Amino acid sequence: MDAPTPVIEINNLVRRYGRVDAVNGLNLTVRPGRCYGFFGRNGAGKTTTIKCLLNLLQPDSGTVRVFGLDPRRDEVAVKSRLSYVPDAVAFYPWMTIAESLEFLASFRPRWNRDMEADLLRRFQLDPTQKAGQLSKGQKTQVALIGAVCPEPELLVLDEPTSGLDPIVRREFIETVIGAYHATDPEHRTVLVSTHLISEFEGLIDEFTIVERGRVLLTSAADTARERFQKIRATFPTAPGDLELAGALSVRQSGCDVEVLVDGNGASMMDRLRARRPVDLRSQALTLEEIFVAAGTLGRAAA
Amino acid sequence: MIFQIDFQAGKPVYLQLADQIRLAAASGRLQPGEALPALRPLSEELRVNRNTIAKAYSELEAQGIVENIQGKGCFVKAGRSPFSAPVRKGMLAGEIDAAIVMAHHLQVDREPFLELVRERLDHFAGQLNSAQNGH
Repeated sequence: MDAPTPVIEINNLVRRYGRVDAVNGLNLTVRPGRCYGFFGRNGAGKTTTIKCLLNLLQPDSGTVRVFGLDPRRDEVAVKSRLSYVPDAVAFYPWMTIAESLEFLASFRPRWNRDMEADLLRRFQLDPTQKAGQLSKGQKTQVALIGAVCPEPELLVLDEPTSGLDPIVRREFIETVIGAYHATDPEHRTVLVSTHLISEFEGLIDEFTIVERGRVLLTSAADTARERFQKIRATFPTAPGDLELAGALSVRQSGCDVEVLVDGNGASMMDRLRARRPVDLRSQALTLEEIFVAAGTLGRAAA
Repeated sequence: MIFQIDFQAGKPVYLQLADQIRLAAASGRLQPGEALPALRPLSEELRVNRNTIAKAYSELEAQGIVENIQGKGCFVKAGRSPFSAPVRKGMLAGEIDAAIVMAHHLQVDREPFLELVRERLDHFAGQLNSAQNGH
């Protein structure tokens, strides 16, 4: 069986600003139908990478392919098949919401009117309101509606929820992605860049963590949650030095011990069990905790 | 039905979903012929990716527990398992082995383990009975 062409394939991407390496040898492969998380702190190189996908920036070296095409050579072909929502969106302030969406639709070969009406209703947006009067959250909502209604094969979201209030953002991301996936889900791919990872916990199938322009970790979400575990043990008396080599980190406070492990959870459990704890349990890390743990790993290796 | 997803359970989310549906079908909370929730509302309710739910449903379909009718959705299957008796036994043995390993680590011996199995079987039979009388 031939593997389908990746929607995004980046090899060894390097992009500098003057002497600063914003992206330094980054690799990324996103297969069709995925909801892919691109995680990193501010300044890690996420936006620079995304701009190279859109030919808003040109790589210094390395290759970038979107739908198998080079965005530098086939910019229009690439852009006509994707939607991009940057972290700060702007509309012409004199246009209404309806006019703004109409304007966006005029550039697109197709536009799902039912989806537009449905999302406007669910976000309780008044189509006759002027874009200039909208809050930041409402502007983002309009931008997301504008991004999904053309039913593009790829949806690129750069920090879609930063700066929004937590109650609004909790709801609207899954509403938008739900609407996006409602038609032909095998050909609907999402790349979402964010540092607010907990909001995307259930939505992400696969992710890459970047730091200082390099990949720290690429994994399927379920695999990562199996790999990274937090083990808590309680001993009848303070256990002294447990010598738990191979742990990512060990915290000890009196009789309680908390150990973070990467892939060796079972053997660590056995070693702790041999010391006769009164309580012993393990729990998967959340993606956000994995993000923090991967940062520790990266700094240790640097 | 109400699903409980725990991202920190150390078990893939799609398997958590599949297990809960299997349990509901075994205990009569989901009746043969009943539809599973549609992908989009369930993915929005649980805040999980649509792919995750689709994967859970196709796992259940592969095990012959539900049936996917094109364009209509997934339905709990009535009647018998499509697998032969030895295959069914093999599938079950794997699950029992996992429980035996767990029992070993928890120092639950043979007799208390077997007693617990009987107790759980009775529990399910009771649930199934009251679900059927309720319908």
